[in-house]
Amino acid sequence: MNQVNSSVNQTVLQVDHLSVGYKDKTVLRELSFQVEKGGFVSLLGPNGAGKTTLLRTLSRHLSPLYGTVLVDQADLKKLTQKELAKTMSVVLTEKVTPPFFRAWDFVAMGRYPHTGFMGKLTASDEKAVMEALAMVHAENLLFRDINTLSDGERQKILIARALAQDPAIILLDEPTMHLDLKHRMEVMTILQSLCREKGITVVASLHDVDIAAKISDKVALVKDSQIIAWGEPENVLSTDSVSALYDFKGASFNRYLGSIEIRGNGAGKPVFVVAGMSSAAILYRLLSKRGFSIITGILHENDLDFFVAESIGAENYSQPPMTSITTETIQKAKKRIAACTCVIDTGFPLGDLNHGNAELFKAALEMGSPLYTLRKDDYFSQPAPASGGCVFPCNSESQLVSLLEQQL
Amino acid sequence: MTSETIHLQKRQTFWFIVILAVMAVTVALNIMIGSVSISFSDLSHIVSAHDTASTEGFIIWNIRMPRAIAAVLGGAFLSVAGLLLQVFFRNPIVSPFILGITHGATLMVSIVMLTGLTLGFSQISPYITTLASFVGAYAVLAIVLVIATRVKNGVTLLIVGLMMGYLCHAVTSMLLAFAEKEKIKGFVLWQLGSFSGFQWNEIQLMTIIGGLLLVLVYGLGKPLNAFLLGEDYASSMGVNIRLFRILILLCACALAGMITAVAGPVAFIGLAVPHMARLCFNTSDNRILVPGCVLLGGLITSLCDFIARMVFSPVELPISAITAFFGAPIVLSLLLKRKVSI
Repeated sequence: MNQVNSSVNQTVLQVDHLSVGYKDKTVLRELSFQVEKGGFVSLLGPNGAGKTTLLRTLSRHLSPLYGTVLVDQADLKKLTQKELAKTMSVVLTEKVTPPFFRAWDFVAMGRYPHTGFMGKLTASDEKAVMEALAMVHAENLLFRDINTLSDGERQKILIARALAQDPAIILLDEPTMHLDLKHRMEVMTILQSLCREKGITVVASLHDVDIAAKISDKVALVKDSQIIAWGEPENVLSTDSVSALYDFKGASFNRYLGSIEIRGNGAGKPVFVVAGMSSAAILYRLLSKRGFSIITGILHENDLDFFVAESIGAENYSQPPMTSITTETIQKAKKRIAACTCVIDTGFPLGDLNHGNAELFKAALEMGSPLYTLRKDDYFSQPAPASGGCVFPCNSESQLVSLLEQQL
Repeated sequence: MTSETIHLQKRQTFWFIVILAVMAVTVALNIMIGSVSISFSDLSHIVSAHDTASTEGFIIWNIRMPRAIAAVLGGAFLSVAGLLLQVFFRNPIVSPFILGITHGATLMVSIVMLTGLTLGFSQISPYITTLASFVGAYAVLAIVLVIATRVKNGVTLLIVGLMMGYLCHAVTSMLLAFAEKEKIKGFVLWQLGSFSGFQWNEIQLMTIIGGLLLVLVYGLGKPLNAFLLGEDYASSMGVNIRLFRILILLCACALAGMITAVAGPVAFIGLAVPHMARLCFNTSDNRILVPGCVLLGGLITSLCDFIARMVFSPVELPISAITAFFGAPIVLSLLLKRKVSI
């Protein structure tokens, strides 16, 4: 049991009190962290924070200003160039397009530290190249000239080359830059499978916080000349830490949604969205995009709608999970409705716990406020409206919002 | 081993044989044809009997053969030097002269030829120009190498070379302004480059040193290929950048400097032949391109020398005029058609 554990938790990269940068400028200081075998580490941070400088130091393209880097327990400084090449390979942002290079030739360059004096490929080298191409699903690109490849295809070939080097660690500098969504996801899944299946340790600088959160084992938040946070993304990435990392003003990250929501400026006409039961996320985003100021309620605090409303910066009335809506909250919400231009019903299912929301509809109609609804059944037609308010049934969020824009 | 790879290898072997054959024919023509034409049977007799006594024998052994061999060697060395530098700088328009070595050679030669500074010799002999140009080329080379150990990236080094060239050129033009008219003509002719007047001992020396350098360069094939991906990738794959940077520059400059010292600046070969070789052998693999450039460079240069001697015979055109006149359009069309770059 112990043996299994020790092999699983083997540290392949250990950084102690490391300072990186250039002679006249320290970019990052006092870095200490450990990466385990097969771990996926994402370096996150704004442009110019020092992610690339850190990667270049780890790959020995730059010498550390202070501190040590241990690769497989060996001091990075003391490794020969060849030993280092057998332990670590890199994927850089630099565009590499030598002429007359087929994908095969390019990936085969990765065998450099393993081949003899003249670099002749043996049968086992050729097998390794084919395996690397297969790992990145690029067997079909074998004989394509690399200058004719798309950005996404080229990135896969670059990763295959790094893989053909048969390293314990692969360092990647912004591997998803310039890629379309398909290739972005494909590259990330490939990297993940390198960790899981091959036990390769991956350290990558990334800009997609949402994808990084879902794939990485560890994240490092790089900002202000240091790693401001290091650890599991589940612990490290919160609304506050991500906002601080990127100095978000008009957006925010939500750890439950794992995505970034754009905050509305809240300057437009106030609309009250009666929501809940995860029915309002799309409507919130659309309203926010069109510049409405959103007030919403009454939401349970474990509801998707609640998370989106919070992330998007909507004023909301909420209730602890699994509790009935209290009269007190209803009263507050009713008051707020009075100051809104209209009320929107997202068509959520009404049950015992959220039945208080029905009171809001009633109140809205009594106040003569227009009510736009996405409800499909005949809920509003049966008890005729008590007073001047009228009900506008809508089929979709976009229809609702364009109706709003026409009428308000 | 895939069928594609085998097909490529067959194609490359085919081209090696073709180039070698055409080169043999060109060299033979260079030796046979001239103001005095010599038939093939006479030639084979003179060569096999080592006849240096007869007029034809004298012409062949002392004039045409050294010149024909020098053209092949010169073409080979300049092409390989160009290849090395194009790979090293990852720049398609780099040639051996970009590092300023020609300008260094020209400067020293201009000092000797234009100022009458004869270093103690009573008159300006070809040996002195050779020596001066050798000193000039290698002095610049030494400076560039010293700087190469200090600078971090290739582009800086490229600019250093260019600036060295401008500096030398500036001094040369000042000397030209003050020089006497008749001296200028001799200098201008030297600047155009020529493979005539090579001595056997020079050829021996060039063959031995150049041959060793070519073997060394061939041995650099693997790291040279890594350099194609740039220094960052090369070092991550295990190339000792500092060492190979010096080795590559040293080999390139030594090869080009050696030819420049004796033949003067011969333009274009170092720039054009590597491109032709890449297209011809359909590869960037330097393990193929080094021998490829040796053969193709030798062929192209002897062909150009043949044309230079023959078109307006007995007036002999400068070799650089021919290399550029025929070479530039060829390279241009090849590049446009295939859209290649480095």
